Amino acid sequence: MKRILKYLNGYKKETFLAPLFKMLEALLELLVPVIVRNIIDVGIAGADKPYIAKMCGLLALIAFVGLGVSVTAQYFAAKAAVGASAALRRDLLAHTLHFSYADHDAFGASTLISRLTGDVDQIQNGINLTLRLLLRSPFAVFGAMIAAFAVDGATALTFAAVIPALFLVVAAVMAVSIPLYNKVREGMDGLIVSQRSALNGVRVIRAFGREQTEARKFREKNGLFTAASIRAGNVSALINPMTYVLVNVAIIVLIHAGALRVSGGAMTQGEVVAQYNYMTRILVELIKLANLIVTITKSIACATRVAKVLETAPSMAYPEQSALPDKNAPAVELKNAGFTYPGAQESSLEGVSLTVGQGERIGVIGATGSGKTTLVNLIPRFFDTTQGAVKLFGHDVKEYSEETLNRLVAVTPQKATLFRGTIRENLLWGNDEASDDDLTAAARAAQAADVIAAKSGGLDEPVEENGRNFSGGQKQRLTVARALVKKAPILILDDAASALDLATESRLRKALSELSEQPTVFTVSQRVSSVKGCDRILVAEDGKIAGIGTHEELLTACPAYREICESQGITS
Amino acid sequence: MKHKAPKGTLKRCLKAVSQYKLLVALSLLFAAAEVFFTLYTPLLFGRAIDGIVAAVKDGMDAIDATLFRTAALTALCAVASWLTGSLNNRMTCRTVQQLRDDLYGKLNTLPLAYLDSHPTGETVSRMSADLDRFADGLLMGATQLFSGVLTIAGTLIFMLRMSPLITAAVVVLTPLSLFAAKLIAGRTYGFFRDQSSVRAEQTALLNETAGNLKTLRAFHRQGSYLQKFDSLNESLKAVSLKAIFWSSITNPVTRFVNSLVYAAVAFAGAFAAITTGGAFTVGMLTAMLSYADKYTKPFNEISGVAAELQNALACAAKVFEVLDAADEAPDGALEPETVAGNVEISEVCFSYDKSKKLIEDFNLSVKPGQKIAIVGPTGCGKTTFINLLMRFYDVDKGTIAVDGVDIRRMKRRALRAGYGMVLQDTWPTPGTARENTPCAPPAPPEEEPGGAQRRPPPWSFIKRLPEGLDTVIGEDGGSLSEGQKQLLCITRVMLCLPPMLILDEATSSIDTRTELRIQKAFDEMMTGRTSFIVAHRLSTVLGADRILVMDKGRVIEQGTHEELLAKNGFYTKLFNSQFA
Repeated sequence: MKRILKYLNGYKKETFLAPLFKMLEALLELLVPVIVRNIIDVGIAGADKPYIAKMCGLLALIAFVGLGVSVTAQYFAAKAAVGASAALRRDLLAHTLHFSYADHDAFGASTLISRLTGDVDQIQNGINLTLRLLLRSPFAVFGAMIAAFAVDGATALTFAAVIPALFLVVAAVMAVSIPLYNKVREGMDGLIVSQRSALNGVRVIRAFGREQTEARKFREKNGLFTAASIRAGNVSALINPMTYVLVNVAIIVLIHAGALRVSGGAMTQGEVVAQYNYMTRILVELIKLANLIVTITKSIACATRVAKVLETAPSMAYPEQSALPDKNAPAVELKNAGFTYPGAQESSLEGVSLTVGQGERIGVIGATGSGKTTLVNLIPRFFDTTQGAVKLFGHDVKEYSEETLNRLVAVTPQKATLFRGTIRENLLWGNDEASDDDLTAAARAAQAADVIAAKSGGLDEPVEENGRNFSGGQKQRLTVARALVKKAPILILDDAASALDLATESRLRKALSELSEQPTVFTVSQRVSSVKGCDRILVAEDGKIAGIGTHEELLTACPAYREICESQGITS
Repeated sequence: MKHKAPKGTLKRCLKAVSQYKLLVALSLLFAAAEVFFTLYTPLLFGRAIDGIVAAVKDGMDAIDATLFRTAALTALCAVASWLTGSLNNRMTCRTVQQLRDDLYGKLNTLPLAYLDSHPTGETVSRMSADLDRFADGLLMGATQLFSGVLTIAGTLIFMLRMSPLITAAVVVLTPLSLFAAKLIAGRTYGFFRDQSSVRAEQTALLNETAGNLKTLRAFHRQGSYLQKFDSLNESLKAVSLKAIFWSSITNPVTRFVNSLVYAAVAFAGAFAAITTGGAFTVGMLTAMLSYADKYTKPFNEISGVAAELQNALACAAKVFEVLDAADEAPDGALEPETVAGNVEISEVCFSYDKSKKLIEDFNLSVKPGQKIAIVGPTGCGKTTFINLLMRFYDVDKGTIAVDGVDIRRMKRRALRAGYGMVLQDTWPTPGTARENTPCAPPAPPEEEPGGAQRRPPPWSFIKRLPEGLDTVIGEDGGSLSEGQKQLLCITRVMLCLPPMLILDEATSSIDTRTELRIQKAFDEMMTGRTSFIVAHRLSTVLGADRILVMDKGRVIEQGTHEELLAKNGFYTKLFNSQFA
């Protein structure tokens, strides 16, 4: 909660003034019953028409001032709420953007999206309402009580009794409903996951005739979600009737006691009416509060969930001052590097030592799950080693700023993804300053030139959500082009040609070897043919290095490599 | 938000609720009771206050009797109020549950052409955000409207009985607040519309990018992405402030008008109390004041509710739009028990965009156990072919028949059950590995001596998962690598062993040794089964009974390897570059 409230710091003035003006508004309203009492006890009792007119004029004046005061309050509240939540939304996004791969895996995309949209909106709403009620409600309630004591101490005791009871009811209902609303929200997250995967996996579901099963599973989830919603709603629905009963009982006691005191001459009828008015005012205030409590409760649940994301420190920090890459040092040095996924029993990679010179081409081959991707992911510092160290151009990767690292390493990730926009916008990801010529050259090298040429819009061809208007192979070539645009000294191709036919891939390999900037290239692949021509090939097996060497050396010296080659019909 | 909802939307909404007729009736009844009790209470309190003066000489009995009645009324009112709230809540939740189920069910019957052409995010928001808004606005709003109207009517009656004159004053003055509210709402409407369009833009940006945060990081695009987001965020902030501020002005302004009404009632009431000589009592004035308060309040609520209702109706219309979308062509009735695997494709024409021709007059006859290889450059359109075989899309002309039966006359489920499909795109569904492999027996077969080879290779994969078949697989495959996802999909098919196979030899992400074992298992599986294979390997092409050569979405050549080589056409070129 503290983390969320911190965002109001930028709006100190508004956060202070909004409740203050609300308080003024409440104060003004407290005058009303006293005036009505005067009308009854002085005006009506004395049949004093001018006095009544004067008092009613005062009521109108109070209404007018109240309007000004409350409009001011609304403005400050809205400003603080909107401003703080905009800042929160931005920071939340910036925070998640700095999540490491591991952090991101832990949350999942759907969760992050719903935190950033629905949850923050709800928080905004909550802040707005809290600022308006923060001082107003307690002030109006306690103010009414104080005023009641001023009118008549003995009958005012009912106020002292009923107010704590009212707060107790409100607090109890909140305490019960907050966890319930949390559950509801979680249930909603679960439903969204089901819906998304039903849509994304529709072919698989239909191919396996799983429609009914999936629908049944969804109905079950939906049923549980609905049951939770109903339960939460039923609890919230208790606030209104319970407060109503308490206040009415208090009024009954009040009138009874008041009548006794009027008989005894200790009190006037107008004073009883004033007490009655104060009590109903408390009820009105509480009904308002109760209706808003639900909203605030939801907001608190949302805030807790947002805070959880914010509290998850990115498991990776970058230095303020970046090291400068040493032009004469080897491009990549792995020193006894190892990595274990958080919570995993076994390490995914261990004890890898390797020095790669500038311009060297390294092939990485090995079984699924042997740690190939983990290995190359350590180079751009997508993950931090849990053992040993990784150095680029003479410095530990941890000494480089994110910007520098990004300039040093270009990656095509395993899963080829494009973003909504145009082909050009996607390619510019590599380097914003790149000219069209640079883009075309990169596309040519990546064998993507014909993909672009085949589209009527050329570089300006629109790319749909997730690049779904491109085939897998087309996307792969465009993502390679995107990486090439960067012209980074280290290039990592993680299974970047898996969807390409052999001929295209061989042209791609050739083009890569002819790049003018002569980068250090890591090629991760399953195919021997893809890595065969590399200067050195690294054979990964069960998270360890089974062999390093040229194709020929490995064929004789590394049994694992030989087996891979044999499985692909390669014997020499 | 004044997207005009099409006519009949309201009727549909009512229909959706109508299955809870009893709940609705009870809820209305209790709401009416609550309103009545709430309105009756001030009258009783007024009487009690008037009784105070009398009590000075007559004692407390009369007052206490009135107060006792009030207590009973209060209890009834509280019960009615809770019942109304909880019944409404139940009705709303149940209606939405039903609609959500219907929508999900609808996903199963919508043609793929619909799903392929609507962004996932859009459809998901129909099932979540739009439904929520529908629930909040329409159902909750409608009940508020009902209580509001009843309160107004009830208050009028109570007030008229006490003082027609003061009532008239209240009735004349109150429209002021309605007028003010309307004035403000008109202003606010535009701001809300702007807000929702900026918000939609921002959500779209978030949706795409949050799904691909890893790529974003790989290119260190956080900065420029954040910039893009910031500019949207700033516009959202500006427009939200306007929308929220202007809409929150309604309350103070209407309250101001109400206070004026209050002052007027106090004035008129006090004068009446003096001039009528006791006919209009102080207690009545007190009651009148609280009625004036109660009378104006629903007006404010109703003006708010009206906008909400419009919005909710628009959302409901969007939901119904999905529910009303044309379903797939009706399912056939035939459900052959065994499928031999004869596939007859005759004179088939098909295209996605009906103005552009794609597949034309395509003929192919496949006997059980034959292997059909599909070759072609990357992006040649093999998906189209699979779409037609599995009847994800229907042919425009001609027929596809399995064992002599037009597949349109078969139950889709039966047809698809006949096929085992392993594609390059893998979509594990969230759940356990077991749920992802519906044909799996409850437990992997025990290691029997000599039985190891007979066990399909995927078992070893499943065995390697941390919890075996009970391993939970997250959204989009979660922490599984692309290769592991593929293995999971292969496991699915290998355990089902259907008579016909569609294989994309997509073992691109699986290491070659595992691949070799899988290929062996595939080969074994293919014997005696009709198979359609997107061929990446030379041996598959050579061993195929027939080769379909595809390019740019169409089948351009077909025949055996030798026939095609003899043609010296596209295939020959392709073969030389890809396989030789």
